Amino acid sequence: MSPETTNPRPAVVEPTLRVHSLHALAYCERLFYLEEVEEVRVADASIFAGRRLHARLEQEGERVEMEVSSEGLGLHGKVDAVRERAGTLVVHEHKRGRHASGAEGVEAWPGDRLQVGAYALLVEERFPGAAVECRVRYHQTETTVCFPLDERLRRDVVAAVARARLLRSSGVRPPVTTEERRCARCSLAPVCLPEEERMGSGAERPRLFPEDDVRQVLHVTTAGSRVGRASDELVVTPPEGEGEPVRLPVRMVSALVSHGAVQVSSQVLALCVEQDVGVHWFTSGGRYLGGLGGGSGNVQRRLRQFEALRQEAVCLGLARRLVSAKLEGQLRFLLRASRGDAEAREVVGSAVRDLRALLPGCSEAVSLEVLRGLEGAGAARYFGALPYLLGDEVDPRLRFDGRNRRPPRDRFNAVLGFLYGLVHREVEAAIRSVGLDVAFGFYHQPRSSAGPLGLDVMEQFRVPLADMPLVASLNRRTWDAEADFEVTSEHVWLSKTGRAKAIELYERRKRETWKHNVLGYSLSYARLVELEVRLLEKEWTGTLGLFATFRLR
Amino acid sequence: MAEPRRWYLITYDIRDPKRWRKVYALLKGYGEWLQLSVFRCLLTDRDREQLRWELSRRMDPVDTLLVIGLCGGCVERVRAINPGEDWPEEPPPFRVL
Repeated sequence: MSPETTNPRPAVVEPTLRVHSLHALAYCERLFYLEEVEEVRVADASIFAGRRLHARLEQEGERVEMEVSSEGLGLHGKVDAVRERAGTLVVHEHKRGRHASGAEGVEAWPGDRLQVGAYALLVEERFPGAAVECRVRYHQTETTVCFPLDERLRRDVVAAVARARLLRSSGVRPPVTTEERRCARCSLAPVCLPEEERMGSGAERPRLFPEDDVRQVLHVTTAGSRVGRASDELVVTPPEGEGEPVRLPVRMVSALVSHGAVQVSSQVLALCVEQDVGVHWFTSGGRYLGGLGGGSGNVQRRLRQFEALRQEAVCLGLARRLVSAKLEGQLRFLLRASRGDAEAREVVGSAVRDLRALLPGCSEAVSLEVLRGLEGAGAARYFGALPYLLGDEVDPRLRFDGRNRRPPRDRFNAVLGFLYGLVHREVEAAIRSVGLDVAFGFYHQPRSSAGPLGLDVMEQFRVPLADMPLVASLNRRTWDAEADFEVTSEHVWLSKTGRAKAIELYERRKRETWKHNVLGYSLSYARLVELEVRLLEKEWTGTLGLFATFRLR
Repeated sequence: MAEPRRWYLITYDIRDPKRWRKVYALLKGYGEWLQLSVFRCLLTDRDREQLRWELSRRMDPVDTLLVIGLCGGCVERVRAINPGEDWPEEPPPFRVL
């Protein structure tokens, strides 16, 4: 008996590892860490295809699954099949892909070897004294690779378990693998962002495209509508007498946005949570109330966020870059919109000069208060110049004379406020899906209704996602000063048609693609929002100053 | 650029009403019901594999399933031959109701 077992209160037993995780470990340590420690799992097509292969084998009577675990080895898992062949126990593992080719022909991939080796050790412990052999069946090439459970394999498995435990106990995310080819086939690439991570070394690299969400955003704006569930469909029923219900398969929807008096049933909420569909609420006036979705787990990420953002130096550094990005965005928009128009240039000229003069101050500001002062001064100059970007033909009622809100007192501010609400929603949804906490930011002060982090990240998107499309749409004369607004003496609201126009304007803008000035590839604004949040998270998990570096041209 | 999606016609023959209802409900979440036991779905590779996996869990070996992938040309021909049926080019990225 070992000394530990005689102790009446044994030390806390470390939970066993899934054998499957050794496969990930052999592929890439970062993948292992993301999956096992941070619990980020993205199922791609091949994972479902793999599950189906196993289900098929079961139907064909090909499979006798066996659960095995061992505290001693620190492992648990399910063996695909164990068979007895002439006194030897053969451990089978099925793989969908093709085999590796080594010096002596057909070989198993290192990850597969490790995985089967681990199963073999577990089986050996379960049936002491029996000889054990390993087999991997590769279904794409229809080959089977056999190898014995020899000393080398034993050592490899034990070493892998030790390494996995070490990684699991550390709080540091391992670096990106040096073998770039692996990232191309990795289901976690859009989360891990290996290329952005490798940016530092500067060389030209093949790019893994972060994919856009192809599902629809569903805005329900008709007051009195009800959203219900019928099996896996969302059913939007307008109020009595206003048309037929609209049915949408839930997997075609990426977010359900409810504006004003809309009923959403609890069955719909449950379905949306299950299917990873965001649900968001706006007031009928267009203020963002909050949302639902993502964010369970991710403890590690949040702890890292809290730790990083408690350091004043980190917050100040991020805030400096953020305010620079915002001011430079405003500056560039003014320059761009007045390009080739000598008259506008002249008027806008002084604002441009002042904004330029403020910029150096941003990168040297000694405190957040100083930065707020600079931001305020910039905003005043920018909004002062904005009216001159509107063409002569724009309806005088739609003109702009200074920013006001809560409530907006003119038509321009009504639309602008509404668009900012939509941008805010986008940013909060991205923060949730990345697994950060909106309630803990680095620049804004906590306020009751909005999470500071959302407001922080949103700053850099105000100009490209709201101001620019709005000014352009006014100059195209798409707005109707009467039908699109509801005007009272106190405030101005969007009418139903106006709201639909604003949503369309915003959603179209979001889908426009754009070439990132630092990362060098094209992506849609929708994807850019999420990318920025992921880059922000990287600011305290090891990499570079890539956050808030994008600039308009 | 978005993840590529393709049209699929999915038809099934289920021998038991209880399983049939489950399969029908599942498919409703993925696409549009066209005719008795015929659905059309616009799917990414990932969706397709997920759907087939979910179907395999609800179906029995006696049931049959046919998943027909339609290439761009096939969809064009469907549009040309059945002008009454509306096969959208690409659904809009958002809807306002």
